[in-house]
Amino acid sequence: MEHWFLNIAHWLTSWLVSLGLAPVWAEVILLVGQWTCIVGIITLNVLVLIWLERKVAGFMQQRLGPNRLGPYGFFQTIADTLKLLTKEDIIPSQTDKLIFKIAPMFFIIVSVMLYAVLPMGQDMAVVNLNVGLFYFISVGSLSTICLLMAGWGSNNKWSLLGAMRSVAQMISYEIPLAFSLLGVVMISGSLNLSDIVQAQHNLWFILLQPVAFITFFIAATAELNRGPFDMPEAEQELTAGAFTEYSGMRWALFFLAEYTNLVAVSALAATLFLGGWQGPFLPSWLWIILKTYLIMMVFMWLKWTFPRIRMDHLMSLSWKVLIPISLVNIVLTGAGIEIFRWMGW
Amino acid sequence: MYGKGLLKGLGITLKHTFEKDITIQYPEEMPFLQERFRGCLSFDFGKCIACGLCTKACPNNVLSFETVKEEGAKKKKLLNYTIDLQYCLFCNLCVEVCPTNTLYFTHSFELTKFKREDIKIVYHRPPELDLLPEEKETGNLEVQVEMPDITEAEAKRLKQLEAMKTALGKNPQKVLSKVLDTEEDIAIMANLMASDEKKLFKMAELMLGDREKARKIAQAFVNKEKKDRQQEGGE
Amino acid sequence: MFTTDIYTINIGPQHPSTHGGLHVEALMDGEVVKDAIVHLGYVHRSMEKIAESRTYTQFIPYTSRLDYLATHLPTLGYVQAVEKLMGVEVPERAEYIRVILGELSRIASHMLFVGSLAIDLGATTGLIYCLRDRERIMDMFEMSSGQRLLASYMRIGGVIQDLPEEFFPAVDRFLNDLHGMIEEYNGLITGNEILQARCKGIGILSPEEAIAYGVTGPNLRASGVLYDLRKADPYGIYERFEFEIPTGQHGDCLDRLIVRIKEIEQSGYIIRQALKKMPTGEVRGKVPKLLKPEKGKEVYHRIESAKGELGFYLVSDGTEKPFRVHVRAPSFVNLMILPLISRGGKLQDIIANIATLDPVLGESDR
Repeated sequence: MEHWFLNIAHWLTSWLVSLGLAPVWAEVILLVGQWTCIVGIITLNVLVLIWLERKVAGFMQQRLGPNRLGPYGFFQTIADTLKLLTKEDIIPSQTDKLIFKIAPMFFIIVSVMLYAVLPMGQDMAVVNLNVGLFYFISVGSLSTICLLMAGWGSNNKWSLLGAMRSVAQMISYEIPLAFSLLGVVMISGSLNLSDIVQAQHNLWFILLQPVAFITFFIAATAELNRGPFDMPEAEQELTAGAFTEYSGMRWALFFLAEYTNLVAVSALAATLFLGGWQGPFLPSWLWIILKTYLIMMVFMWLKWTFPRIRMDHLMSLSWKVLIPISLVNIVLTGAGIEIFRWMGW
Repeated sequence: MYGKGLLKGLGITLKHTFEKDITIQYPEEMPFLQERFRGCLSFDFGKCIACGLCTKACPNNVLSFETVKEEGAKKKKLLNYTIDLQYCLFCNLCVEVCPTNTLYFTHSFELTKFKREDIKIVYHRPPELDLLPEEKETGNLEVQVEMPDITEAEAKRLKQLEAMKTALGKNPQKVLSKVLDTEEDIAIMANLMASDEKKLFKMAELMLGDREKARKIAQAFVNKEKKDRQQEGGE
Repeated sequence: MFTTDIYTINIGPQHPSTHGGLHVEALMDGEVVKDAIVHLGYVHRSMEKIAESRTYTQFIPYTSRLDYLATHLPTLGYVQAVEKLMGVEVPERAEYIRVILGELSRIASHMLFVGSLAIDLGATTGLIYCLRDRERIMDMFEMSSGQRLLASYMRIGGVIQDLPEEFFPAVDRFLNDLHGMIEEYNGLITGNEILQARCKGIGILSPEEAIAYGVTGPNLRASGVLYDLRKADPYGIYERFEFEIPTGQHGDCLDRLIVRIKEIEQSGYIIRQALKKMPTGEVRGKVPKLLKPEKGKEVYHRIESAKGELGFYLVSDGTEKPFRVHVRAPSFVNLMILPLISRGGKLQDIIANIATLDPVLGESDR
């Protein structure tokens, strides 16, 4: 069970080589196959996630959530997707057409790119990049520009307000996010995500770096634009923020991208702090899925409990609280590492 | 400490996550309606004395009716009665003012209609109200036509009769199982009632009264039908 | 030097958190509100004009539709105004029933306030819990009048009919659970630090300004003015009950929330007392079939509704229909301070301000 996916990959490459293909081309085809799988899994996973979110919200509010289509309403999101697919594609006349059209596509592309470096099991990263974490953070911050494109292109004050908020928010939260990850990097001594997982073989980093985990979690919530930090959308204030003018499949792409980001960031949290794919009994790819879902449940729990924070409080939380805390954490981690080294561990 | 309130809130939502849900799944599960629930405004044609108090009480001109006064007759004769439900405020003023309890609220609350014309509820004069007394006595109709000055007990009985009729019409097996024993008999009786409205009315009346009598008569009906069938089969 | 442009943003009339057809034109400098202009009239149904073509009794169901969230209170105000005009005596038991239902309406309205504030600030779950508890009050209204939302249960000279048997255990159970519900709101909503940060010091209304603008009800009391018509000018039988008037200190959004939550508790006490003291007897006094007040007689009657001072001004011209009915709607007056308290705040504060002023647009636009 452990090596199912790896075996499939090996078998595929060897079969392609046996057909007389150059090994390079076999690798390329394998890569294409991997990406197709990732996109497919992401899309299907988002369907499950939306259903799960609605179910969790329902249970929290003593409701049932969707329960009409299929067992426990499982096919509700599929029906919703079909509805969104068949909706008329409305582009308001005063928009900046090009930017308006490409913004959702960019957003989803950026979100899918995040998965390149995530180890979804033992030796199961698509690209085993030695600056994986750096890649993740830099690609993740690109989604800011997509939101700005959506807000600017819509030519709507609500959208622009939402977009400006999201830019301010995401840029501010990049810093504590990166800083909180530095502690982990310092301990493991590598930016490669697979190496970081290996480094947690004895002890999960959540126990070594609890403060970093909390700052990372808060900053990640803000990065993901999820409640209580869902400024760009802020339904009760900005109607739908940057997405106000979007409808149909374009809007659905944003939705898809947001959930894709959610999965990616949750998987990153699981990788960095919860030991990644490591765990007893079960195969490694199942462990990472379980841990990711656990973190996502916490995200949902927070979203459905808390009111939305105010924009200026949000900024001061980042600059006045999270950044100093994460800086102190880095200093303490460095000192700790030196002390342990001095003690001869 | 800062954050205590946040944790408490999380605790509350977590607690409720695992509690029983309070949803009533409406079309399958009907909500419990209180006795005084004001659903659809309904009208009992036989009781109306065409006094017009209801139309005067109504704030929104929902109610209207037409009457004729025949020569020599003392009272006005009600021709039709219209409830234009789309303007109804469900305020109970007409029900309060009615001297003969002609207007009442039912418990049916599913008042949406597909066509605009269907919203208006029009009651036309039922033909049996115009039967001469002799005709009534010959009993070509099972239901006694009530005069406006009926007593309350009778009104109650009539209401029960209506309810029984609908019950027999909709779910005959359940009601009939109280008087008939075998399933075959019940099925035969249900068939009989479905084809013959008179029998249904008769049964409804009997069911309200003496159960033993109802049992005997129902059995007689069934036996007769069985015999008929046998004869047909024989031929 | 660089200057920023002032731009206009239209909050409403179609907006998720304007509680109906409210239109606020906000002049913004970035995220800072320079000015806010309230435009009303989107829910105007010409209630006052309708009253002129209806008899005194016929207007009762319309009053339910003024403040539909506290359905019995506007009806009570109107009915008492007519009783004052006609000099009608109301039986004891009916008075107690009116108090019980009126206070239940107040609780229902305040519960919805707490919930709607929660959802306006983004906490969806808070709304659902409040609605869940309010539903029990709606069930009690259904028991008594047959209608859940627009009851029109009061009649001139009493109420339609006596409360049913099952009402009393239901209200008893509800009052027993009331404390737990309030605890839950305090835990989930009031005690939440994010909500406190968004409400504390936001939309401050000083007592002087509140009085100058004619603000009434919980909004006035949150500013620290001890003024409740149930005590200041008791109507009905309110002088027989003991209760406290909760007041705030700062007049900010948080105070407006806390005052209302405390008022829920006080209303519970009043209902308990009323249930204890309630006599038996008639519920509907002797009232002439056709109400024809003296010509030229006029009356102003005010009650403490869930939103503030709700007044009915009736002028009779000697016929069965009123010559003029004016409704002094507290929501209308309270909304007028929105520009005052929003100026200088953030865009998100406008939402909190609208929510804590608790306007019902059906009432303010009439």
